Amino acid sequence: MKEIKNKAKKEKVVLVIEDERPLVEAINTKLEQNGLVVITARTVEQALHYLEDIAAIDAVWLDHYLLGSDNGLDFVAKIKSASSKWKKIPIFVVSNTASSTNVQSYIRLGVKKYYVKAGHRLEGIIKEIKSFLDHPDE
Amino acid sequence: MRKKIISLADDIARKLKILAEEKEDVRQKLAVTAEALRLKAKQLVVTAKEKEDVRQKLAVTAEALRLKAKQLAVTAKEKEDVRQKLEVTAKEKEDVRQKLEVTAKEKEDVRRKLAVTAEALRLKAKQLAVSRETLEEKVLERTKDIAEARAKEEAILASIGDGLAVVDKEGKIMYVNQSFEQMLGLKVKEVIGRSMVEVVPREDQNGAEVQFEERILTQVLSGKKFVADLTNPFYYIRKDKSRFPVSSIVTPVVLGGKIVGAVETFRDITKEKDIDKAKSEFVSLASHQLRTPLSSVNWYAEMLLAGDVGKVTPEQKKYLEEVYRGNQRMVGLVNALLDVSRIELGTFLVEPEPTDIVKLAQVEIGEQKLQIGAKQIQFSSSFEKNIPLILADPKLLHMAVQNLLTNAVKYTPEGGKVRLTIALSDVHVLIKVSDTGYGIPKNQHDKIFTKLFRADNVREKDTEGTGLGLYIVKSIIEHSGGKIWFSSPGKTPLGGESQENPGTAFHVTLPIN
Repeated sequence: MKEIKNKAKKEKVVLVIEDERPLVEAINTKLEQNGLVVITARTVEQALHYLEDIAAIDAVWLDHYLLGSDNGLDFVAKIKSASSKWKKIPIFVVSNTASSTNVQSYIRLGVKKYYVKAGHRLEGIIKEIKSFLDHPDE
Repeated sequence: MRKKIISLADDIARKLKILAEEKEDVRQKLAVTAEALRLKAKQLVVTAKEKEDVRQKLAVTAEALRLKAKQLAVTAKEKEDVRQKLEVTAKEKEDVRQKLEVTAKEKEDVRRKLAVTAEALRLKAKQLAVSRETLEEKVLERTKDIAEARAKEEAILASIGDGLAVVDKEGKIMYVNQSFEQMLGLKVKEVIGRSMVEVVPREDQNGAEVQFEERILTQVLSGKKFVADLTNPFYYIRKDKSRFPVSSIVTPVVLGGKIVGAVETFRDITKEKDIDKAKSEFVSLASHQLRTPLSSVNWYAEMLLAGDVGKVTPEQKKYLEEVYRGNQRMVGLVNALLDVSRIELGTFLVEPEPTDIVKLAQVEIGEQKLQIGAKQIQFSSSFEKNIPLILADPKLLHMAVQNLLTNAVKYTPEGGKVRLTIALSDVHVLIKVSDTGYGIPKNQHDKIFTKLFRADNVREKDTEGTGLGLYIVKSIIEHSGGKIWFSSPGKTPLGGESQENPGTAFHVTLPIN
């Protein structure tokens, strides 16, 4: 943990909340290749613990369907609540859910962007996240 | 002789005495007369005074009389008018009297005829009295039958599973059945004679009450045709203020060409809504399940091809590219299947807004630039000026136009022509996509819009496609109130049509309103 805290000072940290193991590994590899530090969680509960313990999360990669009782929307709702100290962390939702009501809910709750997993190259998504982290005001 | 003169003197003295006596008489008489005359003169003065008074009174009276004469003249005139009116009235009375005479005559005729008829009727009455007894028996029987039938009908109405309400032309409840009572928690006697709209409030999803004028019932009773908007569910409020989603049908009752009331049947669709919700969630979950392994293959193939886990030989690259391509096709197929299932389950969220179709088309053309360039397609387009905004869901329209354009480019050989035009025709916007491509075989025209169908000629050419695109396009266009059709060989001014490449032209019309 301490290691990560130090690294956080120079490199950006991305919290990846995804429960599919093969995908997590691919995402992890690609993110690290792009110079980002990766923390992975499979449930909302786990993700919230990490947020609590590691103060320096710079971005969140979030899937919709997760292990456990909460899904991605629950996570965003908790993060974006008025009293939350993590309101400002940009959330990139990368999911395969087809429901447009879900997509609308995410956007309304204030996520940075929504990607349909199967419609994007991994490289493409990561480049956009990186670009945002480097120039957060654009 | 003296005797004679004395006698004469005596005579004369006597005559003078007599004369003096007569004069005295006369003088006395004259005195009397003078006195009398004086009196008379006095009297005359009085009389003259009286005459003067009388004359003055007469003058006043004369004046009064003149006025009276004037009044009388007026009165006389009025009397004349009245007399003339009376004359007219008398004339009218005469006319009426004559008419009455005629009527009296007619009455007499009628009375005579009635007398005849009365006699005939008396005879008939006798006959009827006989039949009446037989009829009475029959009527009793019939009444029993009708009462039974009525009881049956009422039992049927009462037991209709749907809620039933019958209202008169003012919207007041005349009849409700048991299901109505049960669903709404209201008793018949609480609602009979009261306005349906008042007694059963209706609200939309957000809890906003539907006002009287907007109620379907109000519109149907005023003769308007009402088309229910299935995307906007309604709720009825029960007596205990709870609510439930409802599907209702209201139809007018027409008697003799006039609307005399309406009948409404409605159902509690809580279960159906729950099923709908379950269906949407199923589609959502299914799409996730299908796409997850596809994403996995996608990204791993991508990383292998990018050399992220080691160098890749050109041969390996070729194979990996096939894997990647195959996977992409699967993704396309899953996407299309998802769209189809959403269309069929009716869970496609349609959000119409005023859309600039020309701009949308231009964006699509932009997205096709790469493909067009790669195949060196001669692309042209023409958009009429002043095409109005169409009320349509832009993301769905985007899908449809994209599909038609991609097809045109995909199914046209290198160097061929593709053209997109948008024009205006009375109340429609006309979109045409034409090409000089492979065309559609005549014997397969009827199947083109069916699911998963791909014509033989394009399958021979090894082009890729899901066979779902046109089915989806047709669903979208028809859902938006438009029409789609095609011709192949395409009758287009593109020219250069050959036997081998007869070309195709797809036509789409969309209503403006």
